[in-house]
Amino acid sequence: MHSDKTLESFTVPIGPQHPALKEPEHFLITVDGEIVTKAVVRLGYAHRGVEKATESRNWVQNLYLLERICGICSHIHATAYCLGVEQLAAVEVPPRAQAIRVLVAEMERIHSHLLWLGVAAHEAGFDTLFMYSWRDRETIMDLLESLSGNRVNYSVNVLGGVKIDIDDDLAQLILDGIHYLEERTHHYLDVVTSDAMFLQRTRGIGVMNRSQAEVLGTVGPTARASNVARDIRVEAPYGAYANYPVWITLDERGDLEARFVVRIKELFESFRIIREIVKTLPPGDLTTRIPRRIKAGETVSRVEAPRGELFYFIKSNGTDIPERIKVRTPTICNMMSVVKLAIGHQLADVPMIVVGIDPCFSCNDRMVLIDHGRNKQSGWTWEALRRYGIEYYQGHPR
Amino acid sequence: MESNTIKDILASCLSLLLFPGGLFVLLTGLFYEWVDRKFLAQLQNRIGPRWFQPVADVIKLLAKEEVVPEGVDARLFIGLPIFALAGGLTAALYVPFAGLSPITSFPGDLIVTIYLLSMLTLCLGLAGANTLDRFSLVGATRTLTQLFSYEAPFLLALLGPAFAAGSWEIREIASFAEGRWLLFTQPIGFLVAIIGLMGKLELPPLDAPEAETEIVAGALTEYSGRGLALFRLSKGVTLIIGLTLIASFYLAGVANPYLFFIKTLALLLILVVLQALFARLRIDQSVGLWWRYGTILVLIQWLGMIIWRGVTV
Repeated sequence: MHSDKTLESFTVPIGPQHPALKEPEHFLITVDGEIVTKAVVRLGYAHRGVEKATESRNWVQNLYLLERICGICSHIHATAYCLGVEQLAAVEVPPRAQAIRVLVAEMERIHSHLLWLGVAAHEAGFDTLFMYSWRDRETIMDLLESLSGNRVNYSVNVLGGVKIDIDDDLAQLILDGIHYLEERTHHYLDVVTSDAMFLQRTRGIGVMNRSQAEVLGTVGPTARASNVARDIRVEAPYGAYANYPVWITLDERGDLEARFVVRIKELFESFRIIREIVKTLPPGDLTTRIPRRIKAGETVSRVEAPRGELFYFIKSNGTDIPERIKVRTPTICNMMSVVKLAIGHQLADVPMIVVGIDPCFSCNDRMVLIDHGRNKQSGWTWEALRRYGIEYYQGHPR
Repeated sequence: MESNTIKDILASCLSLLLFPGGLFVLLTGLFYEWVDRKFLAQLQNRIGPRWFQPVADVIKLLAKEEVVPEGVDARLFIGLPIFALAGGLTAALYVPFAGLSPITSFPGDLIVTIYLLSMLTLCLGLAGANTLDRFSLVGATRTLTQLFSYEAPFLLALLGPAFAAGSWEIREIASFAEGRWLLFTQPIGFLVAIIGLMGKLELPPLDAPEAETEIVAGALTEYSGRGLALFRLSKGVTLIIGLTLIASFYLAGVANPYLFFIKTLALLLILVVLQALFARLRIDQSVGLWWRYGTILVLIQWLGMIIWRGVTV
């Protein structure tokens, strides 16, 4: 590691390999003493070429590929994709399947938010809260396992429905688990809003007001903590959310504490929805038939992932292989807010601000080629991309 | 005559190197480190390490290659961990370790001991500043900043019992404190001394100098192998000497090994609970904590003690 100590600037690299980051990402922080004067982010360390890979797999295979974009919110990726494809194919999914999709999505939100709570507490050096929240997260992981057989990548969706069903035993198991988690969540809400030492690290840190949040294009809980009413479940209810309306959780303070409070309060909303679904699960089929070739056309599918709006653009050319799938994950929308908010804060607050948006780095890495001067559109073959990647890294020794 | 001298020298060597100094201090330090880790793990709903884990870690580190990074002063890089450990081990000679009377003693050795304990922090700061690594530099700055904030209140807190005993010799203070629970007459001093020890050892919530999620391992980021092992050993030694001092001053003395282990372990458990309870303080917050509350409170207690003495004499 080289050092560039000059009188004017002292830079601290956070990442690509750093204990604060669970995934590779590079934040170059310029500090004056402990105060951050400049922050730069470099994305792209975990680009996996998923979008390109979808173009050589058929519609069914892609479901399993896209589920693996995110290890934490796998179900919501599959849901977004299924909703889009079903819309293209003009297929109506049975109501029971729709309800189960929402049920699992909310369980996934619980597991994601509890995971985030632990990680955020760890960044603040509050390891006790980290360990406790992750212990309680095991409850929901166990429920997901008994539901689908897997703790992550539950693979509940199929094109045209779901592949799991919920019987009375499972329903009771879910209700019991939710009951326990609700008690614990009350406790966590109490901790993050009343622990004086913890509040010193969250209250008034990384404040983003409403207009900033809108200008920076933030989504999900990060935006809602700044009082921006952005929630796809409310704005454009998809699937069974039309039957199980969601109350949006907002907070007007816009600091880290607000982000904690919003995410924890969202858990209560998830508990309520899960209870409602389990009690009023509509009877009927789990799947409906879907053609192997999808009619030509294009569609946009938006869903609310635990981290915010997840956006899918799907284009079909009438074959059994999609022409183009474009995924935009919420982290990329929130990333600019990190760089903006870090300035003026202490170095110690930077990991907290980074984790405040609940980042999921490898989900957001895309390749964008900016070709100045030439006004020409062209497609890249898989082989050309691969060659370009090899040449790029040969020209840029690390 | 001749043989008596040799016997004396042998006995001194034994007490310096094996028991109660030297090796015994090191092993007790490692044992206390395990108690710390294990109990903290239990409080956090984890299982925690097995009893020999700290020993195994040190042996492993000692056996590993020590990488001397580019751009450092190699002599300092290798020498600093040795100085840190030597400071701690020398300090152990002046304290009533394991309930035994101190190996050596002279008037004013309390001040010498406290400064020997600070050797660890100074060496950590220098070790961080010696390398070019940016995490180490930030860590070193924080380590030294923290030193300047807790050192004065910590010293004042340990001088409280000295003031009550009317001596600055650890042996005399300890025998004065025998049977007297100064904890109840000087509660602020006790609290400040405990938290000061946590600051010295960079334990949570005062672990900003080595905050993993910000600056990796702080001043020790570039250390591996032997240097890291020696620094860890000296932390263990500092921990146990600090506990001994506080227990013998504030908790009615540590007259025999039994009382020593009971009282120092009880103190350690308090430290662990404090570690589990709080989130990490930023460096400006911990400096503020010390100067705004720690120092002022200790000074108020000192004022009270002086007035009390004026009234009673």
